Amino acid sequence: MLKLEALEVSYGEKKILNGIDLELKDGESLAVIGESGAGKTTLALSLMRLVDGSVKGKILFNGLDLLSLPEEAINELRGNRIAWAPQNSNNTLNPVHTILNQVAESITEHKLKNRREAGKQASILLSSFGIPVNRFSAYPHQLSGGEQQRVLLAIASANQPELLILDEPISSLDAPARAEVIELLKHTNQDCSFIVTTHDISTAAKLADKVAILYAGRIVELGLSGEVLSRPRHPYTRGLIRCYPDMTTGKDLQGIKGVMDRSVNGCSFHPRCTQAIEICRKEIPPLRLIQGRHIACHRGGIIPLLSTKNLSKRFDSLLAVDAVKITIEGGETLALVGESGSGKTTLAKLIMGLIEPTEGEIYLEDSLVSNRGKDFYRQVQMIFQNPGESLSHRLSVLELVRESLDIQEIGARDERDRLVRQVLREVELPDSEAFLNEYPHHLSAGEMQRVTIARALVLEPRLLIADEPVAFLDSSLQAKILKLLLKLQEQRGLSLLFITHDIAVARKISDRIAVMKDGKIVEQGPATKIITSPGHAYTRKLSQAALDLSLED
Amino acid sequence: MHINPKQEIRHSKFAMFGIGMLLFLLIIAIFGPLLTPYQPNSQTPFAFESPSFNHWLGTNHVGQDILSQLIYGARTSLLVGFLTALLATILSAIIGTSTALAGGLYDKIVMRIVDAFIVIPAIIVIILVAAYLKPNLLVLILLLALLGWQGGARTIRAQALSLKEMGHISAARSFGASNLYIIFRHILPDLVPILLMGFIYGVRRAVFMEAGLAFLGIADPTTVSWGMMMHEALDFCYLNVWRWWLIPPGVALSLTILSVTGIGHTLEGALDPRLRREANA
Repeated sequence: MLKLEALEVSYGEKKILNGIDLELKDGESLAVIGESGAGKTTLALSLMRLVDGSVKGKILFNGLDLLSLPEEAINELRGNRIAWAPQNSNNTLNPVHTILNQVAESITEHKLKNRREAGKQASILLSSFGIPVNRFSAYPHQLSGGEQQRVLLAIASANQPELLILDEPISSLDAPARAEVIELLKHTNQDCSFIVTTHDISTAAKLADKVAILYAGRIVELGLSGEVLSRPRHPYTRGLIRCYPDMTTGKDLQGIKGVMDRSVNGCSFHPRCTQAIEICRKEIPPLRLIQGRHIACHRGGIIPLLSTKNLSKRFDSLLAVDAVKITIEGGETLALVGESGSGKTTLAKLIMGLIEPTEGEIYLEDSLVSNRGKDFYRQVQMIFQNPGESLSHRLSVLELVRESLDIQEIGARDERDRLVRQVLREVELPDSEAFLNEYPHHLSAGEMQRVTIARALVLEPRLLIADEPVAFLDSSLQAKILKLLLKLQEQRGLSLLFITHDIAVARKISDRIAVMKDGKIVEQGPATKIITSPGHAYTRKLSQAALDLSLED
Repeated sequence: MHINPKQEIRHSKFAMFGIGMLLFLLIIAIFGPLLTPYQPNSQTPFAFESPSFNHWLGTNHVGQDILSQLIYGARTSLLVGFLTALLATILSAIIGTSTALAGGLYDKIVMRIVDAFIVIPAIIVIILVAAYLKPNLLVLILLLALLGWQGGARTIRAQALSLKEMGHISAARSFGASNLYIIFRHILPDLVPILLMGFIYGVRRAVFMEAGLAFLGIADPTTVSWGMMMHEALDFCYLNVWRWWLIPPGVALSLTILSVTGIGHTLEGALDPRLRREANA
């Protein structure tokens, strides 16, 4: 019923919307999600032909091109077949009319009913939106923000429009009111299509069948809301979801590095993207259908960085790693959880090539890893279990951190020393001459762990395997190291394979969790799901055995 | 475990004696030609002389000055000792670390060769080979070195195998380090005390072997050495003169071996905590 073709809106030189293609069928609902400034409101306004910028492209509403219709025809449509509920910013309602009159007015204007009848219908509508009868003759300023919002929604749905456009419909409401209004919207608009613009992911998930993620005036990902939100495939979508606090995820909030900038060449997200390559800087990616989802990304969405297939390792009679199949995606944290002896470290060593697999393959970005040369290790790095052991007692901090650069023969001596200082600052260690000349046995456990992180990071790897990086630390240090890893992930787009025996720690840091027992992955999935509804008995056991600060009665 | 060989030696009287003695011998050996009153091979008409002002330690059966011979003998002993030990230690380090790190077929073959050599008594092989080859000093050194690396290689391989599994070496590997880098940067520095001890015992063994071979008369007769002196002196044991002739090389040899043992013993004690005395700690 609604079709947008190459819609472009610009205010002067500034392009707000940039080639939007969308299609909405009868009765379908679409949520447009994006951070502020992405162009959501402009999109909503352009559907009503209310933007004052220059508009190009086509907006087809049941075959009518809204952009070429005469003004009277548009007026006839607006508020009648296409209705709009604006963001409530306290001045959208007319302050000198009672709310009942305002609802009735929108009915009389289009349906040409007499005032009595319109008033009657308006009061039905208002009460269905939860406004008590004794408030019908109130003026807007006498209502609470939530009530005002409901009135706006009642006005918008007054004429049973075919298309309802809701601009941030409930972001000004408190949580209980929100849930109620969502129910109402769903109920009253069963056979009407609607478009919701919002920055609130949970609203989108609850209201709409489909979501479109808008970034800098372009749609970057489009798909069914359940799928997109539970398994985002565009880096930006994942970033947005990571920013969003909800009651089920345990992972700490992470931002997206940088700020939105519309003026960049190529893919507008590339300066903030963690997997940008050359082409991303030059060309704008079109929105393509990739494996059942529309994604605008040269790389086809989030790439699987490293995957193992049927990976096994046998030590004599012990099958330490048994046909393991895991995939670590670019920029995500996969936590590998299991008790000691379950084969976690063996798996890490297999990936690093420190031991040879009995069977199975490892793929780095779809190419089979056979002989690991220096370039493999430049991309994949590991933090070993015991920081004290993995630091040679003969080398100073400078030599330790520089070792990886020395081996990889990166830069001249000065350049290496500069990189060492830079990475030390990044892991929040001093870069003073005195500290550079310290030997490991003079460092504290936390400092040692940071040095091991620094020497792995100085190569700027894309995947960091962290083997129990916090198991040796007390909880305050543990918290700091976890925060540091998350910060580095946000800034560098690092993928993490985080190995831990502690599911509580895994919950705080991971996007996905894989549970390992006796060499097998018994369960893997989004962290939220594994934590809240573990499918395997062993996962439940791990969760129950995890640390718990609540006291028994 | 961080072992500081210098400190261990400084705390042991035995080792200090060894070092002092060895230094003394080295100085004598190096400056030998300046110190000797006579050429060791130049013959004088005065045979079988007792110690006198002209000949401090007397002369032998052809009138050669025994002190001069003793000093030149020190040169031979130490040259053979140090060069053989150096070669053998280098060989054992190369073979021990490479087998440990490379593993596989190479490791298996080389280790079986080592086993074979260890089973065969080296002294018999050397006597037989020397009897055929009539080796000069250089060939003798090579021969002794070739027969002297196997035990060391085995020890070093064992140590390298356990070092290989250590965290900092895995870490270096995970930066993409080659075996060569790992051997030179990480394994060899950790093996210094063991290599040093192997070297010291190598010196002792080579000095002793060279003297033994010369004593048995299997060495180059033109080389002046303590073993050769004893060999020649022994022919005249029915005369009274042998005392002045036989005792000096015997004492010199004993002192050399004792001093080397002193150093080795101390190092061994330092390396093996079970041999470490509390007082030294």
